[in-house]
Amino acid sequence: MALLTANCSDYSQMMVTTTEDTVADEAAWITQAQRADRKAFEALYRLHSDKVYGLCLRMTGNVSEAEDCTQDAFIQAWNKMGKFRGDSAFATWLHRIAVNTVLGRMRKSKREQDRIQSVAELSPSPLSTTDTGELRDLSEAIERLPAGARHAFVLHAVYGYSHNETGDMLGIAAGTSKAQLHRARRLLMQQLKQQGFEA
Amino acid sequence: MSNENEDRFVEAAKRLATEISPERDLWPDIAAAIDAPKRSKWVPMFAQAAAVVLLVGASSAITYVAVKGQQGLAPAIAPELIFEQTSFGGRYNLGPGFQDARALLAAELDVELARLSPESGNDIQSNLGLVRQAIHDISQALEQEPDNVLLQKKLLMAYREELSVLRRVSGLSRNVMMRNDI
Repeated sequence: MALLTANCSDYSQMMVTTTEDTVADEAAWITQAQRADRKAFEALYRLHSDKVYGLCLRMTGNVSEAEDCTQDAFIQAWNKMGKFRGDSAFATWLHRIAVNTVLGRMRKSKREQDRIQSVAELSPSPLSTTDTGELRDLSEAIERLPAGARHAFVLHAVYGYSHNETGDMLGIAAGTSKAQLHRARRLLMQQLKQQGFEA
Repeated sequence: MSNENEDRFVEAAKRLATEISPERDLWPDIAAAIDAPKRSKWVPMFAQAAAVVLLVGASSAITYVAVKGQQGLAPAIAPELIFEQTSFGGRYNLGPGFQDARALLAAELDVELARLSPESGNDIQSNLGLVRQAIHDISQALEQEPDNVLLQKKLLMAYREELSVLRRVSGLSRNVMMRNDI
C-alpha cells in the first residue's frame, strides 16, 4: 500500500503485478477512494479505464463520445463511491455506470444522435486498429447495428454478461435482451455473409 | 445452418478486444472535474421552489380575479346559464342559484300551463311528477352510495329530462349540464 503515496506516473507500473496483488490492491483502493482519497481513485481509474473506454467505444462507435462517456462515468463513480457496497465486482459496478452514461447521453437529443451517427459514418472505424483481420469486419459490422441490438450484443457477446445482467444494465427485460441478441446475430449474418466471413 | 453461422458470430465476438486504451489520457479532465468545488444542489432547488411558488401564486391570483369577476356578474346571468354554473356538491343538494332558477322556471311553467288546454297541462304535470319522483328516488339511493357513477349519471339524466320538459314549456333552449356538475 506504500505505492498509494507514489506519483501518478507510477500507477502504470503498479499494474505489473499478479492478479492476487491487484485484487488486494483494488479492495484497498476502493476503501480509500470511499474516504475521498483521490490518488486511490486514480489507481482505480488506471486499473479499469481501458475496459470502461472499450465498452463505451463499442457501444457508441465514436471516439469522442466514448472519451466523454468514460470521463462522465468515472466522475459519477467518484460521486457515488460511498454507495458501492461490494454486492457486485467493482468492474461490474463501473460498467453499469458507464452503460447508464452512454444511454443517458444517447437519450439527450435526437439531433445529437444524428451528429454522432454522421461523424461515425464519415470517420474510419475507431476499432479498425484494435481488431485485426476478420475480427475487424465483425467489429465494423457491430458498429453498424441499430443501437438496441448493438448494446445487447456488445454486453452479452463481447463482455460476457448474462441476459439478466444485460437486461438490468439496459433497463429492459431479459427476454428483450435475448430478442435483441437474436436480431443482432441475424443482421450481422446479413452484413457479413457477402464478405465470406469465417469465424 | 443459419443458426450455426449466427452462433459463430457470437463465438467470434468473444475474441474481440474488451480493453481498449484511449488515444489520450482522460484522467486530467476527470481529476479537474472531481477537484472542482461542488455547486450546492440547494441553490437550484430553492430557485425551483421559488419558481413553483411564483407560478402557483400567479395562477391562483388570476383564477381569483376571474372567479371574482364571474361572481360579480352572477345576478345578471340568465336562468339557463345558472344551470351551467350550478354545482350540486358532495351531498347532491341543489345550490341556491339552481333553486332560484328552478323557482323561476316553475313560475314560468305555471303561466305557460295556464295558456294550455287542461289535458295538455295534465300531461305535462304528470310527466314532471314522474321525473321529479325519479330525481327523489335516485337522490335517496345516492345517499347510500354517494360515489356510484351510474346513479350520478341517472340523476343527471333525470335533471336533463326535467329541464327538457321545462324547456319545451318555457322556451329555454339550452341544455348544458354535465356529469361533473353533480
